[in-house]
Amino acid sequence: MIARDRNWLLVFAVCAALAVIYPFFADGYQLTVIRDALIFGLFAASLDFFWGRTGILCFGHAAFFGIGGYIMALVTLNDAIPVGSVLGIIGAVTGAAFVAAIIGYFLFFGGIRGSYFTIVTLAMGVICQQAAISWSSVTGGDSGLIGIPPIAFDLGGMHVDLSQDLPSYIFVAAIAAVAVLVLWSISRGRWGTVLTAIQDNEVRAAALGHNAPLRLLVTFVLSAAIAGLAGALYVCMAGLVAPDLSGLLLSTEVIVWVAVGGRGTLLGPVLGAIAIQRAQQTISSFNPSLWPLLLGCVFVIIVFVLPDGILSIYARLKSLFKGRRHAR
Amino acid sequence: MDFVVTTLLNALTLISILMLVGLGLAISFGLMNVTNLAHGEFVTVGAFAVYFVQSIGGSFWLGLLAAPIAGAVVGCILEFAIIRHLYSRPVSTVLATWGVSLILQQGLELTFGLGAKPVTPPIEGTFDLFFTVYPAYRLILIGIAMLTLLGVVLLISRTSFGLDIRTVIQNREMAEGVGINTRRTYAIAFTFGAAIAGLAGGLVAPLAIVLPQMGVNYLANAFFVVIVGGVGSIGGLVAGSVFVGGLTSILNYQISPSLAQAIVLLAAIVAVRLRPNGLFNGASR
Repeated sequence: MIARDRNWLLVFAVCAALAVIYPFFADGYQLTVIRDALIFGLFAASLDFFWGRTGILCFGHAAFFGIGGYIMALVTLNDAIPVGSVLGIIGAVTGAAFVAAIIGYFLFFGGIRGSYFTIVTLAMGVICQQAAISWSSVTGGDSGLIGIPPIAFDLGGMHVDLSQDLPSYIFVAAIAAVAVLVLWSISRGRWGTVLTAIQDNEVRAAALGHNAPLRLLVTFVLSAAIAGLAGALYVCMAGLVAPDLSGLLLSTEVIVWVAVGGRGTLLGPVLGAIAIQRAQQTISSFNPSLWPLLLGCVFVIIVFVLPDGILSIYARLKSLFKGRRHAR
Repeated sequence: MDFVVTTLLNALTLISILMLVGLGLAISFGLMNVTNLAHGEFVTVGAFAVYFVQSIGGSFWLGLLAAPIAGAVVGCILEFAIIRHLYSRPVSTVLATWGVSLILQQGLELTFGLGAKPVTPPIEGTFDLFFTVYPAYRLILIGIAMLTLLGVVLLISRTSFGLDIRTVIQNREMAEGVGINTRRTYAIAFTFGAAIAGLAGGLVAPLAIVLPQMGVNYLANAFFVVIVGGVGSIGGLVAGSVFVGGLTSILNYQISPSLAQAIVLLAAIVAVRLRPNGLFNGASR
């Protein structure tokens, strides 16, 4: 096992341990805050899985989050559908994956990469939000849908009901941990290596026999599916769904979480999401319109000061000290 | 008959605006390979310039003069402060310009307050064309847009600065080799594109809802224009504008605007799949 993998697993274990002992010290409200932040962390990890491995930035990832959320809401609010929670999650994941598959097919097989892809996904996000607002007979328009029941299902004779704070926290934390671990093992294995090769030089990777568009498409679909899952979890925990969930601001925020946490680390974006949302709540309580302004500043600062995210400070300090020692 | 003419003129209005906004984008995105997500804010700044001039008692025409200047100032600052440092880092450019876009939007909102800003057109009333009656201001808008485009074509094809731009675009190293200051050429071209977008914002201000967030719709549509039309030629710009603007106007008659937007996006994606180099530039890659 290479050192980098060991370090990653070490950090993952520390985070998991913190997540396990956290409920012993936190009250119900604090649990729900971290629970919601973890859902967004899962969302950030899904974007990072695609962006970090392929180098292609998706600027409308909230569209998949929103699609997942709306499907979950519509399924669980419909009394005619049995086991709504389970079918809702399945529907949310497939729905997001399906949309990603259609868009991704045309773009990746059409040779669209880089900035072009970023822009088309940006427009996709804008349109998703507009559609959520204007299709009011289904989506509830501007005010969205309310009264979405918490997740409840039967598992092997045991009834799972996530209306309480602690069970829902455990459920979300477990899903986030498993998802991050799975994404990580995919991206460090052969699949990830090929993606890195495609990112470095697609023509060469294709010459070696790899079907680059197909690889990118499958990665994109998987990333969208997890984003849809995060959206579905969120609307059940929050109890409502609104057009903002597929909006440009959320797409923007998730990019900041990934960029601050460190692109390509999968764990960094989760931590970035949690940390930045804490900051957002504090700042928004002073003045709500201050937050987008600060967000804009964070973008510019990241690009010029910390292109590899906050975790890179450690690596930089290390190389600085190493350099000193070397000089001596 | 008058229905057809009205639809055509509506399409022409949208196409004119898209061409002006897309022009700056074609320069920065298509030719300099810079993805400027703050391009929509040049349009916003232009519209706000007209509003500001009118609100302190100036005429619309004075505002329309101020609009490209405001766009150029913002564009020039953006180029000097951010974009020129990031020519070799495309993803960083995307993030930084998006940050600037957010800062500009919130800055405008903090300065001018919430809510839509009223802008009155210079002339009310309609103009009697042989087939139909049409708002006079829209005809003026189309006229100004066409004249501007003609001016740009002449600038690029007939002046020595246009020659510099064409040289830098074809081969940057070679252009530097023959003594062209490529950094300066990029900066001027970028500022110029921003000024045209500002002018588009000023022109559209009496027709549109002037909000700090209005830019993003123009941004998305203008990018489609450039992507669908293909980069590198005025012909592509016109083809892309006609495709996006024409389709949007025709669909807007039948269905709700957001559904029309979605269909235009899908059509654009399919068009890109079929003609990767743009409608105008042949099918082969």
